[in-house]
Amino acid sequence: MRVLVIGGAGSGKSAFAEKLACGLSESRTYVATMARKGREARERIERHRQQRAHLGFRTVECADGSLEAGLRAADKTGVVLLDDLGNLLANALFSLDGSMAKPQAVQDCLLREVVALCSGYSHAVVVGNLVGSEGLLADEYTLAWVRSMGALCCGLAQEFDAVVEVVAGVPCVVKGDIA
Amino acid sequence: MILVLGGIASGKRTYVASLGYDESQMSGSVGSDAPVLCDLQDVLRGGPLSHEELEAAARKDVVVCCEVGQGVVPLDPQERAWRELVGRTCAQLARHARVVRMVCGIPVVIKEA
Repeated sequence: MRVLVIGGAGSGKSAFAEKLACGLSESRTYVATMARKGREARERIERHRQQRAHLGFRTVECADGSLEAGLRAADKTGVVLLDDLGNLLANALFSLDGSMAKPQAVQDCLLREVVALCSGYSHAVVVGNLVGSEGLLADEYTLAWVRSMGALCCGLAQEFDAVVEVVAGVPCVVKGDIA
Repeated sequence: MILVLGGIASGKRTYVASLGYDESQMSGSVGSDAPVLCDLQDVLRGGPLSHEELEAAARKDVVVCCEVGQGVVPLDPQERAWRELVGRTCAQLARHARVVRMVCGIPVVIKEA
């Protein structure tokens, strides 16, 4: 089964996705997407690490905007948890020198990569970020990220078996059946 | 407790009024005797709730909070921390609450108490 889990900041989407992944298989792979830049990122990484410490995930680092390492580790069994699309997209879209790649090309490439990654395992849980509910987006970089984020979620939602939105820790099934 | 969530102008207060509460029964302070705690997101500008405050909020009839986590991650670190705190506090309160989410003025029950 392939499930897309979406939610806003602090909604509990990661905790829910971990629980869901654990119920799908005992062989668990975690694809980490966050670069260790700055104190806040390190703290967040540490919090997520502790949250899943006892769950027996093997971790594959994919903080360079590509899922190649995750694809190489795929073994056609078990469950893969990709957390999250927002970081993956930002890492692929923006360079350290402040430049931006072509959003459409990046988005198409990532969609293919995520689908390929998920096909490499028996089950997949992908965490996406809800970021489109805001009125004014001033700069083109942010807007490009928000648009590509939405397009990625739409693409995966179409492809996957189920979509769950997490609101205040409460899972709301938007598509399919996760029971 | 009923936890009422929703974006700005999604109909949260109108829904609370439809439950039979008038303005005088709504307060933006956890310590108040009012049965309805409004604008939890503003309360959290002052930092996380203490254990006692969290329990007091859970004992209210209704807690209303604006969903603030579904936009772009703010550049300001304090804004980021606040958004995160609002989300996490709601998730804590939701555990033992009936959760109603307002969508275009429509109350959608996403969880029973």
